[in-house]
Amino acid sequence: MKTAIVLILAIVAQTAGGVILTRAMHRVSASGPDQTILLLAVKTIESPAVWLGTALLIGFFALYAAALSWADLSFVLPATSFGYVLNVACGHYFLHETISPTRWAGSVLIFVGVALVSRSGVRAVDPAFVELAGPAKEPE
Amino acid sequence: MRTAIMIALVVLAGSTGDLLITKGMRQVGEITTMRLTELAGMLRRIAGSRHFQLGILCMAVSFFAFLAVLSWADLSFVVPATSLSFVITTGGAKLFLKEHVSMLRWTGTLLVCLGVALISLP
Repeated sequence: MKTAIVLILAIVAQTAGGVILTRAMHRVSASGPDQTILLLAVKTIESPAVWLGTALLIGFFALYAAALSWADLSFVLPATSFGYVLNVACGHYFLHETISPTRWAGSVLIFVGVALVSRSGVRAVDPAFVELAGPAKEPE
Repeated sequence: MRTAIMIALVVLAGSTGDLLITKGMRQVGEITTMRLTELAGMLRRIAGSRHFQLGILCMAVSFFAFLAVLSWADLSFVVPATSLSFVITTGGAKLFLKEHVSMLRWTGTLLVCLGVALISLP
């Protein structure tokens, strides 16, 4: 349960961070033609949305690393890929982007893939190492 | 050829980074507390872990190689190609972290890899 909550928060932070940063950077670059790199840098630093997006991405990394302290990397990595599906859904519902059939098909494959990985357990110790490491336990 | 080498660097550095960060986090131990003082102590130990530091360095190399390759190659080619990292990292986790990767987990990982490749196509 702890793993599910931490990973869901991580995925939401990553998706929200990506969307907020993209919008903020589009706004910075669209704020006027012929801007110097220095002016762009100042506008980027002054944008609260850039800071919020960056903070969310740092939050994602902290949650991802925390999950790795108790769960398998071969579980956490594919599980967080659900963020790709969330990105497509956000693009479709909030930004009204047209999603091609190929992208929908990709989303379905990721969804099924994550479902399969999540059924394989959070921590699965190699049977050859059970005697050394002790039995695998799922955290509460 | 240059693109292939850079994509290999993105994937290998990223996967190595993930493996090292996992190793560093395991050494520090499971995070079970929500108390700020204890979390600060853990954060210090994580930041001091050699594995964690090397992992961050590898991640940075992977990120900058990704940016570099995007300066001449299409995103719709680079992202599907780098989705191979799901399989490479899972293989690395089995080999170096001794994780047990069941057939179910392998199947799911391959579907995710294929799905990420498809999703990045135009």
